[in-house]
Amino acid sequence: MSRPLSVLIVEDEVLLAVELGFLVREAGCVEVGHALDSADAVRLAQDLKPDIALVDVHLSDGPTGVDAAREIAEQAGAIVLFMTANVKRLPDDLAGACGVIGKPYSDRAVRRALTFLARCLQDGAAPGPPPPGLALSDSFVGRWGVDQTAPAA
Amino acid sequence: MIIVDAQAPDMPIVFANDAFLNMSGYRRDEVMGRNCRFLQGPDTDTDVIKALANAIANGEPTNVDVLNYRKDGEPFWNALQISPVRDAKGQLVYYIGSQVDVTARKAAEAALEAAAAEQARTAQQALADRTALLHEVDHRVKNNLQLITSLLVLQTRRTLDDATRAALQSMLSRVSAIATVHRRLFQSHDLERFDVATFIRDLMGDVSSGREEVEIHLDLERVDIPAAQAAPLALAVNELVDNAFKHGLTPGHPGRLSIQVRRLNGHYVIEVCDDGPGLPEGGAFDQGFGLTITNLLAQQLRATLTFEAGEPGLRAILKLPAHG
Repeated sequence: MSRPLSVLIVEDEVLLAVELGFLVREAGCVEVGHALDSADAVRLAQDLKPDIALVDVHLSDGPTGVDAAREIAEQAGAIVLFMTANVKRLPDDLAGACGVIGKPYSDRAVRRALTFLARCLQDGAAPGPPPPGLALSDSFVGRWGVDQTAPAA
Repeated sequence: MIIVDAQAPDMPIVFANDAFLNMSGYRRDEVMGRNCRFLQGPDTDTDVIKALANAIANGEPTNVDVLNYRKDGEPFWNALQISPVRDAKGQLVYYIGSQVDVTARKAAEAALEAAAAEQARTAQQALADRTALLHEVDHRVKNNLQLITSLLVLQTRRTLDDATRAALQSMLSRVSAIATVHRRLFQSHDLERFDVATFIRDLMGDVSSGREEVEIHLDLERVDIPAAQAAPLALAVNELVDNAFKHGLTPGHPGRLSIQVRRLNGHYVIEVCDDGPGLPEGGAFDQGFGLTITNLLAQQLRATLTFEAGEPGLRAILKLPAHG
């Protein structure tokens, strides 16, 4: 591993954000910031240029996570991963995000997803099929050459 | 009633009774000698007039509901019936037109249609509201389960005492099992049924990552149970798997865990087998908390729970009656 990946956490539930911070560190990444609302999320993403942004759909200013995710992906160039209880409400293209983890998630599922993403980012290709609990967007399946032949989780 | 001369140019009215005069509001001298198209007005349906003209041109009788206008401009619905009258040689000589004012019936019909449309709109709105509410509740339940999970993980991190840690981790695995159920229930299109095989695949995907040395073998028939049984069954299976990991499979040592789901004679049979030390001497376990709640859950599911010697290891068998 060349350098640890930086992660921005966008989550309005503070206890979840704290726990996510632990999981980020356990996956060998570094938490660089935490935003509670979409404006902070976009600003922090542009200032900190994180490698990965973990984004909830419902933030403290409403269901603004999808728009924030699009801006973070397009303007700050971060790899966005949605973490939401509202998987069905996400647009088909996942707003430029690489994938989604449905809530309620387990700590293991998040650790595995982060480890998987770290490998994808560092190698430019997936080490194998995505771990259970992580669903990838079509465009990232193509970008990372993900093997989807494994049984669906 | 009116009679028009079918042979004179433009078919003028040659007779009008008092009922017609009352209905239309005209005096007799105002209608005699005129074609009755003066009854039409701005909202009269031109298609109806065309159909009427066609029937007349072909010398056929016809019935139409047409919007007509009184002399004072007031519209009324006219149920018009026209019949041709022919002479001995079959020559068309007169048309007889009889009129009934059906404005009240038309109004009632329109009101009925409006009421039906309104009812449909209300029903649609109610359905949309219900769906939105369901999504909202689903969303809140998921978020609350997430919060409970994260709280348990946070406290586990802070706990140094091994026994307390183990208890917290057991609770976390139980909450996670319920969370997995909830995630699955609302992912499927059928909210009434719960797919046991998919649940077990989810559960094992989550559990196994911590114990890579254990080889996991799944042999799962597709089995759907009522959604109401999903949480108790998921908890029971979770306990059996947890038990296998704790007592059957020593950490750090290779082992094998297999789970089988199948249908058998009106029952669903779920077997969890490990290749550990198996049944203790005397064939019975101490009633730990895990086993206690598994037995209670089995009771609730009207299922039987038995433990047999595997070859090697332990085979836990949960057998529940199949529904429908």
